[in-house]
Amino acid sequence: MNKILDYIAEETGGKTYKSHRFCYDAEVKLPSLAYDESQEFTIRRDRYGETDDTQRTTKNLFEATKLFQKEKPLFTYFLDGSRRIYKVDDIEYSKRLFPVVGGQIGVACCQRNAPDTFGKAILESYLVLSLPSFAVTGQKHSTQFLGRLTKQINETERLKRLKIKFDEIFTYSSDKADKDSKEYLDRGTATIQDKMIECEKKVVAELVKKNLLHQDSYLIKDGSLQYSKTAAGDYRELAVYQSNYRRVVGVSKSFNPEFSTDNRGQSNAARIANLPLYHRTPAAMYIPLEDNKRIGKSRFSIWYVRIREARYSESPFAGVLKLEKVLTTEEEIENGLDSGEVDRITANVINERNPVCYGKDQRWANHLYPIYLTETYIKSKFLSDLHFINLF
Amino acid sequence: MATEKAPTTVDEFYFWTDKKLIIKPFDVIKVNHIKNSVTFGVIEEISHLTDSASSLAGFISSDFGDTESEVNTERIGMNYVKARVVGNSQNIYTPVLDGYPVSLANEEDIKNALGLSDIKNPLPCGYITMYEEDPITVPVHFNSHFLIGPEGAHLNISGISGLASKTSYAMFLLKAIQDEYARNAKKHDDSVAFVILNVKGRDLLALDEPNKDLKNADKEIYKMLGLGASPFENVKYFYPYAKKADGVTYGKDFDAQRHLNKAFQFKYTYELDKDKIDMLFANVDDASGTMESIVANITSKTSEFASKTNWEDFKDKLNEYKQKGDTGKDKEISVLSWRKFSRHFNRVLEKSTIFHDNLNEKKGEVRLEEAIQKIRRNDVFVIDIAKLDEDMQGFVFGDVVSSIYDLKLGQAGERDEADIPSKVIIFIDELNKYASKDVPKNSPILRGLLEVTERGRSLGIILFSAGATEFKRCKTANT
Repeated sequence: MNKILDYIAEETGGKTYKSHRFCYDAEVKLPSLAYDESQEFTIRRDRYGETDDTQRTTKNLFEATKLFQKEKPLFTYFLDGSRRIYKVDDIEYSKRLFPVVGGQIGVACCQRNAPDTFGKAILESYLVLSLPSFAVTGQKHSTQFLGRLTKQINETERLKRLKIKFDEIFTYSSDKADKDSKEYLDRGTATIQDKMIECEKKVVAELVKKNLLHQDSYLIKDGSLQYSKTAAGDYRELAVYQSNYRRVVGVSKSFNPEFSTDNRGQSNAARIANLPLYHRTPAAMYIPLEDNKRIGKSRFSIWYVRIREARYSESPFAGVLKLEKVLTTEEEIENGLDSGEVDRITANVINERNPVCYGKDQRWANHLYPIYLTETYIKSKFLSDLHFINLF
Repeated sequence: MATEKAPTTVDEFYFWTDKKLIIKPFDVIKVNHIKNSVTFGVIEEISHLTDSASSLAGFISSDFGDTESEVNTERIGMNYVKARVVGNSQNIYTPVLDGYPVSLANEEDIKNALGLSDIKNPLPCGYITMYEEDPITVPVHFNSHFLIGPEGAHLNISGISGLASKTSYAMFLLKAIQDEYARNAKKHDDSVAFVILNVKGRDLLALDEPNKDLKNADKEIYKMLGLGASPFENVKYFYPYAKKADGVTYGKDFDAQRHLNKAFQFKYTYELDKDKIDMLFANVDDASGTMESIVANITSKTSEFASKTNWEDFKDKLNEYKQKGDTGKDKEISVLSWRKFSRHFNRVLEKSTIFHDNLNEKKGEVRLEEAIQKIRRNDVFVIDIAKLDEDMQGFVFGDVVSSIYDLKLGQAGERDEADIPSKVIIFIDELNKYASKDVPKNSPILRGLLEVTERGRSLGIILFSAGATEFKRCKTANT
């Protein structure tokens, strides 16, 4: 039997439909968006994200950038994750129809030792599938069953000939969807997204293990750091997360400014939009909503910086980046991040503003070039959409 | 790399290199190919490419035009190289495949790729240095059969003027030929002699003098090519005749060379050279052929000119012919034509000292025709025409060519066939002067040149020339 889907259907007792296949991703849609949604934070008088709590207005870092330009850049590593989701087919279980979701995951970390040497440090890429949980009903050990299934489809002649291997099969909840069948697709997507985040963490852990991250060698991670779900898992995992992410700065290109409110509960959006060039906002402390008191505290410092003048960009938020950092020590959690450190990070991020990917990426004003390169690298390693879809 | 826009083809392929790798056009590179074969290519074009979508992105990347701005990351870039396929080790002409590694070649590879190994009848013609960082130098040899016959012949060296490269290279090549034939005479069943026309300066008037300034590095190169770093041998210089040599040559060593019996002065006597005067009219437009018929008239044995023995008497007789009313003798040629002829002839004769009837061999005075017909193997004859005016240069050149023709066609006396050099190489700088488009079609010199380029190869008359512009008329012939 050649067709992967036929094989899966037979093994799991379903029926395939050979329905329309398509790539679910809109190119511009970003994984980081999904993460920003739950972030809501307030600049509170007693909850500053940095030690200098006298800062009321934005802070000009232009002179600081000049100063730091003379030194070796703070950031050596750049991490980005990307995934592409496909609806591969529809499969029927007990007269209910579910989508089979396929995905390509790529996580890359690039390294910059000198302005002219930029290259791959780590690349992780996976091909995965997500099936409705119906597919494993009746199986005692569903994990083992899925592992076996993965192995079996990799044995099919077609995949062997193409030298392609699937890495994992996930399941998404088959609970009745409230709205429409699209919801199943989103559930499937979420499982793949989780895998990508796991993978990002693994890459960071690997860098830490090799002692590559230290006080003069930081990592920029594209998108938010708020791995809320897992970070609040168990205490040990949180401790590892906090120590691993000590030298990691999350840089988000797009964010919802409405989530930031001032101490009277009013939106900070206008203040962010009017941020002058090379200014940063005071850092705020963010406490995840699902913060679990029992097993520990995960706290983040969050602030905004403008790296490009508003008059050159198409929206008031273009040119503004959201920066965040995990607070790792008791002291930081209590008093916020050292303001000098905030300035150092910010100035170095500003210094990453050039060159730009103008003309290649709509989000050029918010993009940092090394991140853009990393993203381009990952995408270059993906199978083409047509190729992937036609594996099935 | 093989892309939609730039696929690899039978003839060419593309690859990327690090942006800082130093390579240059004409470097040889190799690519692994199917069936463990290796395809060789020669670099044609190198371009630098970045991911910048437009020039505007460059401007924006400098903080919208701030020239002081610095970057932490240079834009990602590579060099994009176009290479021309020169061959495959197994003669596979399938285009080079995408993703196969490209590497620099070693000396053996370069020789194979450029077809420099196993050359028959090798004649050193220079060397190629490849790769900036780790240079490889490969000597280059011609197959002499294609340069000086019988397979092919004639050579024109063209290039930018004023660099002293074209003439120097011609001299190098001639010297290599002389060296080869002098040292390996037994290997060759043919023999060569050289006739060099000096048309400018005095560089060619010292061909047998060693270069004291030759650097050791240059000597090494000669050694690598298997050549001696010595000057030409058996050189004879021919200067135009004049009482004071300064007036007719740029050379300064006439007396010294004369002392060593290496220098001669050439003259044209009326009695023996009058049939050559047609060549004086090479640049005169003679559409109706009247000049030609005048020359025929003069040289004919029945004409009144036949009894004249020197240039002076000839001139007097000529004056008679152009007198009005004295047309009874020959009605075919009008007085006007005689006048035109006479005007032109006198102009040349007045300026020139080489038309002289008194030949004193003891003083080293010769007739060029006779001298050339005595040329022996490995002789180098340098004929200085640099200070002559253009008409005279053409005249002497024409004479040289026709003398060599006569020699090779066996019309020059009793020389034994085996004694005559089987190949005579004529070198002339600025050949375009005598064979450009502006030269009238009926010019006897042009005719001689065409004759050489078209039929010279079979006779063993080989033309080497150097000119900033191409040798236009003869281009279609065998150059």
